Amino acid sequence: MADFKTKPDELYKSIDHTPPKAGWMDVPAQFRPGNWCYPAKPEVLDYIGFPNGRKWSPADEDWKLPENWKDIIHQGFRERLEKFRSLKIFMDVCVRCGACADKCHYFIGSGDPKNMPVLRAELLRSVYRKDFTTAGKILGKLNGARVLEEDVLKEWFLYFYQCTECRRCSLFCPYGIDTAEITMMARELLNLVGCNINWIQEPVANCQRTGNHLGIQPHAFKDIVDFMVDDIEEVTGKRIHVPMNEKGHEILFITPSGDVFADPGIYTFMGYLMLFDAIGLDYTMSTYASEGGNFGLFTDNVVAKKLNAKMYAEAKRLGVKWILGGECGHMWRVINQYMDTFNGPPDFLQMPKSPITGTVFKNAASTKMVHITEFTADLIKHRKLKLDPSRNDHFTVTFHDSCNPARGMGLLEEPRYVIKNVCNNFYEMPAQTIREQTFCCAGGAGLGTDEFMDMRMRGGLPRGNALRYVRDKYGVNRMACICAIDRATLVPLADYWANGVDISGIHELVGNALILDGEKEREVDLRQEPLPGKEG
Amino acid sequence: MDLAQRLVEERTELATKWLDLLLQTYPEQTQKLWRRNKDPFTNPVGQTFRQALSELLDLVLDWSDAEAVSEALDKIVRIRAVQDFSPSQALSFVYLLKRLVRERYWRELEKAGALNQLWNFETRLDNLALMAFDVYTKCREQVYEMRVSEVKHAQHKLLLRAKMIVDIPAGKAEEAG
Ligand code: SF4
Ligand code: SF4
Repeated sequence: MADFKTKPDELYKSIDHTPPKAGWMDVPAQFRPGNWCYPAKPEVLDYIGFPNGRKWSPADEDWKLPENWKDIIHQGFRERLEKFRSLKIFMDVCVRCGACADKCHYFIGSGDPKNMPVLRAELLRSVYRKDFTTAGKILGKLNGARVLEEDVLKEWFLYFYQCTECRRCSLFCPYGIDTAEITMMARELLNLVGCNINWIQEPVANCQRTGNHLGIQPHAFKDIVDFMVDDIEEVTGKRIHVPMNEKGHEILFITPSGDVFADPGIYTFMGYLMLFDAIGLDYTMSTYASEGGNFGLFTDNVVAKKLNAKMYAEAKRLGVKWILGGECGHMWRVINQYMDTFNGPPDFLQMPKSPITGTVFKNAASTKMVHITEFTADLIKHRKLKLDPSRNDHFTVTFHDSCNPARGMGLLEEPRYVIKNVCNNFYEMPAQTIREQTFCCAGGAGLGTDEFMDMRMRGGLPRGNALRYVRDKYGVNRMACICAIDRATLVPLADYWANGVDISGIHELVGNALILDGEKEREVDLRQEPLPGKEG
Repeated sequence: MDLAQRLVEERTELATKWLDLLLQTYPEQTQKLWRRNKDPFTNPVGQTFRQALSELLDLVLDWSDAEAVSEALDKIVRIRAVQDFSPSQALSFVYLLKRLVRERYWRELEKAGALNQLWNFETRLDNLALMAFDVYTKCREQVYEMRVSEVKHAQHKLLLRAKMIVDIPAGKAEEAG
């Protein structure tokens, strides 16, 4: 009989997965299913006037770049360095202290060093050194400089579309370097040679054409709102009127379209409508400004400005006094940080003042736009709402600070105040995962698409891990958030990392607790599930 | 020599070494950060691995509670199933324990003519690998399911409007006539 001569180490040679010890510059970008998003369709790019629309795939060897792509990028880089002082500073001042290295959710979940913010930025910075600094021109690689080759461009595409522009890293940087803005610039450069993703460009194109990301036309938009009015009637017995495109009201209400079409955003939308009815708000919605989100932010500052301008244009056309904004994330980043420079000041609007409480929102003095949780918190504070929090007793709630409202505008207390007034059971996730330090949903900045699910689960791990902790410790079964992207992307995140926790907006919880004049005795919540004590 | 007893006696060291080998499947810079930071919320991968491997080792030595084994496996596999690994790479950590035990005790057991103890223990680890494979498949299936249901959720109201789906009406099925 033949003898199998087994050696102790034989089996293991085949499973030695220790990664090679190469410097990061020498490890090429790996495109694998789940770690990149589908490229923009040529017709979409043509429609919005972006160059080099073509059929291509990042997994292909040949990316069909324009012949002079290097010159195009070089020129684009130079222009942006001249135009944006922040970019030049961010390129120059990083001391590679490493404080940001392990602060990115994508790094924390994936372990890929190029997801360390410092290395992500270094992808751009290495080319900057080579092309725009004397030391880099002379010393080359010794000075961390490198020539822009096709591999480098591919690496840009992979890693700048693995950044959700969440700015968690910049919180820890002693120089305040904002990697999110570096990503924005890198994406603009990639646009110049036609390397961008469909999940961003198509919503941008749709938004330009119809006013919202999904390309819903005005009559359909109105129909869907009517559907929701039906649902509200079924739950409360009350028929609510929703003014649409009407001139002469005091307030224009704008929310992300995800609230109107997507589950579970729709329940939050119902909550808004019920609230407005309860306080008799003099408002209108618009089918033209039917999108609070602004995917322009994720691709190009000129596009972002254009999409943003629509809000003011519509406010002017309708003759309102100020704008109330729904629960959205990046919409508030645009409003709080860029709107004023983009399109402000809107002198035809007035300083926002709550018609119910008389509170003047001085924080919105220049943009004239108020976040709905600020508005509702103020109503509650002045006891203007009749609430029955026990109608949310089937939920044990925690709150996910969405990156942009938390880090982009410091909206930390109001959402919590509202939740605590409409729910009886509220628990925070651990301190190092909330408020300014919150962990991203890993699907922001245009990356919330299904083909990117693997990467989203990696990046969603830190949030999911904290969520699982409160699920196990306090029995949390509901995570509230104030961002439409979150309401979509946190659903699979919670399913995968903390199974059994549902996601909702805050105004869904408000809608459940809110007692409307003349309503019937409610049996079910807004999702038409039995209220506590009514399960029979 | 009694392998079972030695494994129990040396479990802490084994757990540490096993973790070491597992972490070595990640790039060096990453290992450094994951070893250093002991906070389970800002370093969830490193800390989950540390805690779950230790738990798993005890469960393997005890080998009486299949459900608990599966749960401990889930903690590790769920993470590696969505990281940038092939299936074999993702599950290699089970065989890393096999390698560890073999390298450590092989010669001694051979000398004592007691290699059969090793084979018996390794059978356990082979079963562990199969269990890990089940968990891995479950995780991957979940990822695919989530992709599909996400697309449906995103356009819920549109599908309703196009009358492509209908909602379940309120009340019990038998009442709705
Ligand atoms: S995803 Fe967030 S933490 Fe990571 S590099 Fe981008 S901005 Fe920084
Ligand atoms: S924390 Fe700031 S200075 Fe330090 S490495 Fe990161 S980006 Fe550079």
